[in-house]
Amino acid sequence: MPTTPELPVTVGIGLRSPHVARVRAERPALGWLEVHSENYFVDGGPALAALDAIRADYPISLHGVGMSLGSADPLDAAHLARLKRLVGRVEPALVSEHLCWSHADGRHLNDLLPLPFTEEALAVVCERVDQVQTALARPILVENISAYLRFADDAMAEWEFVAAVVGRTGCKLLFDVNNVYVNAVNHGFDPLDFVAAVSGDAIAEIHLAGYDASGSCLIDNHGARVAPPVWDLYRATIERFGPKPTLIEWDTDLPTLEVLLDEAALARQILEARDAVAA
Amino acid sequence: MQSLHELQRGFCAATLFGDGAAVASLSIVAGGLDPQTRIAIYRNNILGNYRKVLAATYPVVHQLVGEPFFDAATDQFVRGHPSIHGDVNRYGGDYAAFLASYPPARELNYLADVARLEWAIDQANIAADAAPLDVSALAAVAPDALAELRFTLHPAACLIASPFPILRIWQVNQPGYEGDGRVDLGEGADTLLVTRGGHGVAIDRIGKGEHAILSALAANATLGVAASQAADVDPEFNLVDALRRHVANHTVVAFRAPSPSTRTGQA
Repeated sequence: MPTTPELPVTVGIGLRSPHVARVRAERPALGWLEVHSENYFVDGGPALAALDAIRADYPISLHGVGMSLGSADPLDAAHLARLKRLVGRVEPALVSEHLCWSHADGRHLNDLLPLPFTEEALAVVCERVDQVQTALARPILVENISAYLRFADDAMAEWEFVAAVVGRTGCKLLFDVNNVYVNAVNHGFDPLDFVAAVSGDAIAEIHLAGYDASGSCLIDNHGARVAPPVWDLYRATIERFGPKPTLIEWDTDLPTLEVLLDEAALARQILEARDAVAA
Repeated sequence: MQSLHELQRGFCAATLFGDGAAVASLSIVAGGLDPQTRIAIYRNNILGNYRKVLAATYPVVHQLVGEPFFDAATDQFVRGHPSIHGDVNRYGGDYAAFLASYPPARELNYLADVARLEWAIDQANIAADAAPLDVSALAAVAPDALAELRFTLHPAACLIASPFPILRIWQVNQPGYEGDGRVDLGEGADTLLVTRGGHGVAIDRIGKGEHAILSALAANATLGVAASQAADVDPEFNLVDALRRHVANHTVVAFRAPSPSTRTGQA
């Protein structure tokens, strides 16, 4: 029976199905791998068997996209039960979800949708995070999302909302540097204000990804290399908080495994440069 | 101020259904981009995601109708068939039924059955695992008790009957297919078995008798009843051959005898 490892303070990649066979065969030098939890909400079959095999070689982080922590609807008990079953099977190093909502009146939009930063939404999210942490009997990470609009009813800044969720529930933060940058551009704030507002102790993982700048605002499409200003913000984040487990995410127009490994090497350089300064 | 529930309900109406009043109700900060444009970003993301998901589940349907037709059909499907799971991989099981009554697809009378086949393949990939049938235990059953046995099919097993040659349609639309791509719709009906064995998901054309017996067993009939239904549709049906084949290919994975109290003819 595998023991639950800590996530090493190094770089991982988001593992998507087209790369599974090569990762199993070649076991590239990566500290850990992250998968979307829902892709393994299955009863059996080859994908789950492959995850079991990969789990023997790498620490795994389970990253959920469908829990909808911010819905006014009640939490989906069946979804939570499936996550709990998967966590029991994989014994992941980390379990994460998004600070967003996805369903209303029982209809799921299967997207990461923006919350109003109000006291009501904050209370709803905190209650759901408590429920998930209680069901899984472990802390989860919550991830800040990209947004293409914000609401006039906001009573606080996004970083105040994020910090309050962490403070009230004891959950950890999955700090998505690309999402901070995308929102800073889209909503006109200084991304360093966001960095300054979060607690380094709460950050258990960092995400890096590419965005699409071809439209009227930045879209977090996970479909390109990490952009230069996001690397800069990542460097500033690591300088402030020290090295953190860092993930390269890519979902749209998935490139070859080599491209992901190359992006991972760039992140590793930044982590190791900080280690050298600290030593 | 809107409640969170009102906001989320309004957001669904604004994105999925283009409801202008709902957009206005959301009190979105303009900030250099009007609220309609901001909502349109989400509409494109949401519908685009479902298009991608369903195109991955139904690649042959996508290939047969082409992207513009597929996208329009999918958008209409999404509006009328709400996703009810946070796991989007579970979405789209009723796409075949939708296509069967989608007016622009009326001429493509085989399309819905191709979709049923693709859903069966999709589900077979993620169904529970099952150990093979215990052949020695089956061999030990007394011959006069065999007719009363009930059998369990592999969770991945799915039986499909169509008046159209859907397996050939599926095959000629696979990536890399290099033969003659023409299909004569008059070449006949298909009875198919989709299941998952040691080498992954397999699609086999089976006889009408095999289709009848496996359908009956899946519906919990006894072997005796199932075999007589197979003989009704196919006088040449060979029970021993069929059972041997479908145990070997991992379609029939377990059996159970009636409990003694329900057995008839026992002293």
